[in-house]
Amino acid sequence: MQKQQQVSDKVLVIGGGMGGIRAALDLAEAEKKVILVDRDYTIGGLMTQLDRTFPTNNCDLCTLSPNLSEGSRQEYIELLTMTTVKGVKGGKGNFTVSMETAPRYINLDKCTACGECHKKFPQCVRFTPGLDHRAPTCMRYPQATPQAFSIDLAKCDDVEGLMKSCPAGAINPDDMGRKFEVTCGSIVLSPGGSLFDPSHLDYLGYGQQPDVVTSLQYERILSASGPTMGQLVRPSNGQQPKKVAWIQCIGSRGLQKGAGAYCSSACCMFALKEAIVTKERFHDDIETTIFYMDMRTMGKDYERYFLRAKNEFGVRFVRSRPHSIVREGGAENLSITYSCDDKSANITEEFDMVVLSTGFRISDEVRVLAGKLGIDLNSSSFPVTDPFNPVATSVPGIYVAGVAQAPKDIPETMVQASAAACMAAGDVAVPVKAEEDREPPPPEFATVGEEARVGVFICDCGENIGGVVDAGALAEFASQLPQVVVSELKGHGCSRQSMREIQESIRDNKLNRVVIGGCSPRTHETKFQETVRAAGLNKYLVEIANIRDQATWVHSNSPQDATAKAKDLIRMAVGSVIRSQPLVDQSLPINKDILVVGGGVAGMNAALQLADQGHKVYLAEKTDKLGGLAARIHSTIEKGDVQTYVKDLIARTEAHENIQIITRALIVDHSGMPGLFKTGMQTGKQMFYRQIEHGVTVIATGAKPNRPPQYLLGENAAVSTQLDLQALLAEKPETAKAWDNVVMIQCVGSRDDENPNCSRICCQSAIKNALRILALNPEARIFVLYRDMRTFGFHEEYYQKARELGVIFVRYSREQPPRVQAGDGGIEVSFTDPVLGRELTVAADHLCLSTGMVADEDGNSELAMLFKLPRTADGYFLEDHVKLRPIDLPVPGFFVAGTAHSPKLINESVAQALAVAARARTMLARDTINLGARSAKVDKNICAACLICVRSCPFSIPFINAEGYSEIDPAKCHGCGVCVSACPAKAIQLMQFEDDRILAKLEELFERTNA
Amino acid sequence: MENFEPVIVAFCCHYCAYTAADMAGSQRLTYPANVKIIRVPCSGKVDALHIVKAFEKGADGVYVAGCLEGDCHFKNGNVRAARRVESVRKYLEEIGLEGERLEMVTMSAGMGYRFAQVATEMTEKIRKMGPSPIHLALAGGASEARKAANI
Amino acid sequence: MEYIKPFKRILLVGCNECVTVCAAGGRKEVGLLASGLHMAVLKSGATIEIREHTLERQCDPEYVEELVPMIDGVEAVMSMACGCGVQEIARRFKNKPVFPALNTKFMGASERQGVWSERCQGCGDCLLGMTGGICPIARCAKQLMNGPCGGSTGGHCEIGEDTDCAWALIWERLKALGQIERYVEITPAKDWRPGGGSGPRKIIREDLAE
Repeated sequence: MQKQQQVSDKVLVIGGGMGGIRAALDLAEAEKKVILVDRDYTIGGLMTQLDRTFPTNNCDLCTLSPNLSEGSRQEYIELLTMTTVKGVKGGKGNFTVSMETAPRYINLDKCTACGECHKKFPQCVRFTPGLDHRAPTCMRYPQATPQAFSIDLAKCDDVEGLMKSCPAGAINPDDMGRKFEVTCGSIVLSPGGSLFDPSHLDYLGYGQQPDVVTSLQYERILSASGPTMGQLVRPSNGQQPKKVAWIQCIGSRGLQKGAGAYCSSACCMFALKEAIVTKERFHDDIETTIFYMDMRTMGKDYERYFLRAKNEFGVRFVRSRPHSIVREGGAENLSITYSCDDKSANITEEFDMVVLSTGFRISDEVRVLAGKLGIDLNSSSFPVTDPFNPVATSVPGIYVAGVAQAPKDIPETMVQASAAACMAAGDVAVPVKAEEDREPPPPEFATVGEEARVGVFICDCGENIGGVVDAGALAEFASQLPQVVVSELKGHGCSRQSMREIQESIRDNKLNRVVIGGCSPRTHETKFQETVRAAGLNKYLVEIANIRDQATWVHSNSPQDATAKAKDLIRMAVGSVIRSQPLVDQSLPINKDILVVGGGVAGMNAALQLADQGHKVYLAEKTDKLGGLAARIHSTIEKGDVQTYVKDLIARTEAHENIQIITRALIVDHSGMPGLFKTGMQTGKQMFYRQIEHGVTVIATGAKPNRPPQYLLGENAAVSTQLDLQALLAEKPETAKAWDNVVMIQCVGSRDDENPNCSRICCQSAIKNALRILALNPEARIFVLYRDMRTFGFHEEYYQKARELGVIFVRYSREQPPRVQAGDGGIEVSFTDPVLGRELTVAADHLCLSTGMVADEDGNSELAMLFKLPRTADGYFLEDHVKLRPIDLPVPGFFVAGTAHSPKLINESVAQALAVAARARTMLARDTINLGARSAKVDKNICAACLICVRSCPFSIPFINAEGYSEIDPAKCHGCGVCVSACPAKAIQLMQFEDDRILAKLEELFERTNA
Repeated sequence: MENFEPVIVAFCCHYCAYTAADMAGSQRLTYPANVKIIRVPCSGKVDALHIVKAFEKGADGVYVAGCLEGDCHFKNGNVRAARRVESVRKYLEEIGLEGERLEMVTMSAGMGYRFAQVATEMTEKIRKMGPSPIHLALAGGASEARKAANI
Repeated sequence: MEYIKPFKRILLVGCNECVTVCAAGGRKEVGLLASGLHMAVLKSGATIEIREHTLERQCDPEYVEELVPMIDGVEAVMSMACGCGVQEIARRFKNKPVFPALNTKFMGASERQGVWSERCQGCGDCLLGMTGGICPIARCAKQLMNGPCGGSTGGHCEIGEDTDCAWALIWERLKALGQIERYVEITPAKDWRPGGGSGPRKIIREDLAE
């Protein structure tokens, strides 16, 4: 018998940026073994260098850091930093990868990141790239993982002294580095992109003029952890700039020497963000100008962000490509020379600072790596991927995610990372469950009956808190409060260093209550609960005073008010935590079945992936057949055959033994909790009622093609939408062959008052259809009337091709839309050509409107109501975190895929569906669900058995037991507290929200007022 | 009481109003610092007693902020809260406090701007109404309160 | 308010029995009233200290004893129990003024959460066995004994649309029970003596009384 090749149970993730971390976490949480390698000495990638992210303008560090610490804690992840891949052998299921780890000269197990070595030998630590002109530090950012230093031995001339400087004895000058091999079943390639270097473009002055910086450098200048500690100053003279300009498309859209032919997709948004953040800081004291070609804000709600920048913040937009940036001899300022449509002469304008919005590119290193992996690359050196699966490379078993796949922003990277994790997980064997060798947390020490000893830890949180109030003074204030034993200032309370210090403080000072003065308990409570638990304290004895979201962020205009309020919040938290009591979590077995709502491309892909992993999937489709909107599309712009793809998808879905398809399904009720849902629906022609029990719900309900009654649509047969046109081009090409003049109008029913957002897909649809018409009739004249061409990523190349083939693109403004009237035998379209400055009229054989899509208002509002899901203002489902959790919905156990989330292309919908499968698996890998400890508890000695709780509970949980008092099963209680507030005997308390804690907060709040 | 700065307590449900408050924070929307949030899992958890106690301790205004109608994560806690607020308002009137000092508001998790707007409007309203007589009595002693009561 | 005006320190006593169940005088209502009274007094320019305590049952002397250690510290007592509780406290603490905080209205049942209706007047001579389980004493405005008066229309009492005619209900109920003959029986004039007609009532259970 032939020996069967053994399938490895490991996934190799190359690259420890956001994408790599997300993929590794998803795999680990789904109980797959992961090796995460990064060539850098700490993971985190590019995102750790950003100041804030759009569109929420959140600071990245605080949203990212919990992810990172999570990453290193996971028992399934082996983290290899300073490691590079040297070669790859084998194939899917069994790759052998050779690697090399560079010497760090520091023993990671011993290093405590105390910083002594760095204090005494600053020259021996590596220099932080960018603008850092402080003492060099190797800890790139305060929440780094691994939390350790690294030594550059070449720069050290006193090795012995350096070794002695380390109190932990962690420095090892004989560190050799090592070469080794690992085996894995699949590989996720997520090395990220690098940024275009504009040094060689002398007309931009970059490298010669200190006040010309790249957008990333500008980001570092704005960042609290950056070289200027968050002070926005001109590198040349240290003064605050008064006029800042951004220049878009540096290194993108094939414009400069060495630039990529593609659009880098994210630069418009980050320029907007930087301009807004700048405006926020300095208000009227600074002018911001963005020089652009097309503003490409095609992501979810991005157009609104653009409008806010323009209307609320007064950012100035100039549609022009500046010709040069120079500093006239002796002048202090930079001069930008540019021209505009409406003026024939060049304009020269002075600025203090110029930011170059540099695009993404694939680094040589990644290109070499791709060669070693044997994957095919396109002309721009990005991996070639499957037309209907953007994470699948040309080599089976190797998947790509993030900027290395195509230029993109963070949420799309997160989606692809999860999608790649999903695919990679399918190629590896199920690992044998490791013995519980993880060290159990220390036993909890007794706190009941003990005098409260409170420790208060105030986060400075960079600029976020410390920038508005004196955080040190807050800590000092807290130390004076009754029963507070220690009160300390922490830089970032959520960094590993601070966490460790808090744990030490708990032990050393015998603390039995902890208050964190920091950010929102919504995001960080779990983390701090784990921190105190690891120190032996019951996790419910910690309380967070949200002095960031509720004081410094919202009262930054009055530091005095912010300080007073922060003090109130801290005192309230201390008063409350003193009365907190140790609690035990409840748990229940999980239901591993899945309900997918919507049978389009997204729904079917999610269903198939989950069914392949052995889950029972109920696929509920509203109509009588599967396929959704994609069933009406014939081809993608890349010429992918959509009809065949969808047919195959339907066939596979229908044949799958784990999938039960329910057509004509109308969801009518829903109850339960994550892991234990019950959803009722009326199904089939007879509308029979049936109820499904499931643990996870996937929302993949899609969107609707928009058909606004504009420009004679629906009135004149010669007017169609792009969707109609592509069908006609495929089904009746001879009709189109006869057309001489075709006009397309973009942004019909998008980017207007009624539907302010961009529909994302229409620019590429127009170009796809224009190219198809030209293929049928090369003589056809096609006019595309547009506001901004948004051919992001590689679509830019099709845009360029269309122009080469003679498609005429004419810009129109929202204020001056084209006018359309039916003429003899055609449609007359009149518009103003901005270059000619003249009004033109075209007699078109066909007028095609790019109408895009809109959310299914009726369907979505109904589902949102039943499932309690929030939606965006334009009716799409709103994800939990627009940056980092783009597929998790805010209600745990719910995920969203496809155009139910926002308008998107087919392959983007597929990626999201795969990602949903990966995210769902992280939840379904567990056998039980933790219900927390928030439940209502009855004091039987006080209960008068009045039945008020029984009658008021929204879930009918309380009952009067045989002993004659009300009993509430903590495993069934949802923890809303309605019974608590209704009980006339005050016999019920809601754990974590006990009455005495709420009264203590009131007491503490008014103590000051009334003093 | 010159330069009167009211103290306003906002009982916010975790799922909607508190999240909206966080959203207001991350969007850096400013609102008056007079509003202090107490987090509860559901607006239906807000006890009539706690509202009354807040006034007894000197609050100039109180509002309960829950999810939009139909959006409550616990079915109808927000509707109960609204009814409760209505009855406590009547009780406050009986005692001689203006019922307008107590409000029920609703918002969704995504409505950071609405949170800021409600906080601003409530503060403005209470500022115009002046300090609560209880606040006055507690702060200024009995004689001032008597004067205020007679006017 | 008028009751407590002269006092600086009072004790507000709740009862964890019937008045708790009907959300009138339990711990919660005690707290609400204490807060409300406190505010009302503050507002009038005076000050007051209100102590709160809720007894298991105010109508039993043993439970009332619980108040002994508290009673000297206060000038007056306000009871949130029914009249029985108020009187029991007044009996026990002869030198303290005791005031009622509730108006005890009737013995009733709860129709649903938050809605109570009168059902019994304690007449001492129950005739529910004759009337299909519906009491014409408590539920007929005129306490008629032999069928409805002329004001009964469409099942409603002439008092108002919201009040059912007790006799109409009795008729429906007897019909449903197949006992319409009961309806025709003439009930003689009621003996009101057990209902209080011969002065305050007392029940002595020989086997329990000591």
